[in-house]
Amino acid sequence: MVELSLRDVFGNLLVEFGKKYEDIIVLDADLSSSTRTSKFAKEYPNRFFNMGIAEQNMMGSALGFAISGKIPIVSGFTIFTTGRAWDFIRLACHDNLNIKIITTHSGIVGEDGSTHHALEDLSLMASLPNLTILSPADDVELRKMFEHVIEIKGPIYMRLPRGGFSRVHDDDYQFSTDHIDVLKDGSDICLMGCGYGTELAYHSVQSIEQKLNVSLKVINLSTIKPINKVKLLKHVKDLKGVIIIEEHNIYCGIGSIIAKMIAETKPLPMRFIGINDVFVESGERSELLEKYGLNENVLMEKINKLMEFTKN
Amino acid sequence: MKLSKKEETQLMLDIFDIKEDILKMIYRSQSGHPGGSLSCANLIYILYKNVLKLKPEEPQWKERDYFILSKGHAAPALYAVLSKIGFIDKDKLMTLRAYNSELQGHPIKNEKLRIEIITGSLGMGLSIGVGCALSAKLDKKKDKYVYVLLGDGELNEGAIWEAAMSAAHYNLDNLIAIIDRNGFQIDGSTEEIMALEPLASKWKSFGWEVIELDGSNLSELIKGFNRAKKVIKKPILIISYLIKGADVSFMENTRLFHGRPPNKEEFVAAMGELEFLKDEIREGRL
Ligand SMILES: Cc1ncc(C[n+]2csc(CCOP(=O)(O)OP(=O)(O)O)c2C)c(N)n1
Repeated sequence: MVELSLRDVFGNLLVEFGKKYEDIIVLDADLSSSTRTSKFAKEYPNRFFNMGIAEQNMMGSALGFAISGKIPIVSGFTIFTTGRAWDFIRLACHDNLNIKIITTHSGIVGEDGSTHHALEDLSLMASLPNLTILSPADDVELRKMFEHVIEIKGPIYMRLPRGGFSRVHDDDYQFSTDHIDVLKDGSDICLMGCGYGTELAYHSVQSIEQKLNVSLKVINLSTIKPINKVKLLKHVKDLKGVIIIEEHNIYCGIGSIIAKMIAETKPLPMRFIGINDVFVESGERSELLEKYGLNENVLMEKINKLMEFTKN
Repeated sequence: MKLSKKEETQLMLDIFDIKEDILKMIYRSQSGHPGGSLSCANLIYILYKNVLKLKPEEPQWKERDYFILSKGHAAPALYAVLSKIGFIDKDKLMTLRAYNSELQGHPIKNEKLRIEIITGSLGMGLSIGVGCALSAKLDKKKDKYVYVLLGDGELNEGAIWEAAMSAAHYNLDNLIAIIDRNGFQIDGSTEEIMALEPLASKWKSFGWEVIELDGSNLSELIKGFNRAKKVIKKPILIISYLIKGADVSFMENTRLFHGRPPNKEEFVAAMGELEFLKDEIREGRL
């Protein structure tokens, strides 16, 4: 069940952490009502800066805040914040600046259409050295992650959706960037995803296991960078294959990152579910997820075919 | 050209039809941007009806003027105008933002509809206009104009000012930018979020010819465009003072209906207000 949209949880966390850490300042680009940074703005007006519709200047200012000893949290819609201001982010990463980019409306946003979906942000961000990239699977994980976001000294990018994901974690879940979050053990195929990918894998796994008579492992890849490679590979090395599910272009997202790791050690057959290198149009999010194959049927078919493939 | 009373009345009635379509589309889709579509509907209509050089039967006519809706979220206004002048079937309007519809949430390139380029990521339209205007100069197309409609909040984007500098640098008197000066963006009023004033003198100091006008006055709009085309050696900016959510009382001058569709009660009330205003126009009271 989806408890709250992750942007609402984000807004509440900002208020909570803003109290604890006086160095936190928040920047937004005329989207504070959508990203929910408005909650922080209301509570701490002196530490909130609405930079207007100017993502580049917002990011540049964050760099300035960072070298002045503040902890800038930069928000906005994912695609405009990561895309328009990328070169600024790149330099922040070069100097390992303590900036926290936390954006909402990642993945398929719905009716706004192709200019607003964010399906390329991981490619842009994953190519930046020093950057920690996080993608929480539910509200529980987002809350636990937030401690780390502030504790880690260095640039962080966190990718949040517009809505929420149904829970995959219990309240006592502990997050660590070094930890591999195995949600369910299994011995045939590993399903690996982040955000919506995790939700889809976790909530379809039981019915698929029954229908196909397979044993599936589910890993929530909520730390996209840096990944503890040794630990991750240990979890998949004895399996027959891996399927990556991501609400992102299949090129240069988590599929590409994991495929490289696996190819360099003990190659395993892999399959990929994601946006197949196209731009996505307007429509209801659910319709679009269906059209672009981010659904249970496609997942089941991929698992089935991969099982057959491994028999030959 | 001065509008006769009769012409003006007809244009106004058309604009109210367009506004009704805008609201209907957004209501049906339950998503979209009413405020910034209602504000500039009249301006886009006048552009298509009286200003842009187009050949109805030849969408890709090489000599056509270009229009770029830089504030792409006003797509419903553009589509409703294109329907009014006969480029889009009226039935199709109600597919706005729906799965498989040609009428995307933000406009995408469409040769038949003469949508020259995708927009919706703010701050890009003026640079695109600079490229088109430079290209027309290169091709010695003396009579080809490029029109770019910008939001006032959109002016926060640095790229706008880079474009402004280059347009003046290259003396682009075939580039006419128009600002929908409705005073609001998403999080609040423009002056509260990122102050723009003194806006006219900023653009003048960048080397632009600036025309300020009341964008709700159709004759003034037409006069402004005529004046713009007489300017030489400088790019032209028309600051068009308009009202966000214009003509629906509870949508006017507020940020609340920037990106929120009306619910049923609001929709019914809004349509009632537009009908009432149409009657007033027909009976010569407005
Ligand atoms: C690059 C970019 N950043 C942010 C947005 C989100 N956004 C859409 S409309 C809007 C406000 C636009 O305000 P304004 O230009 O004044 O438009 P109007 O009031 O005329 O509707 C914003 C911030 C966007 N579309 N593109």
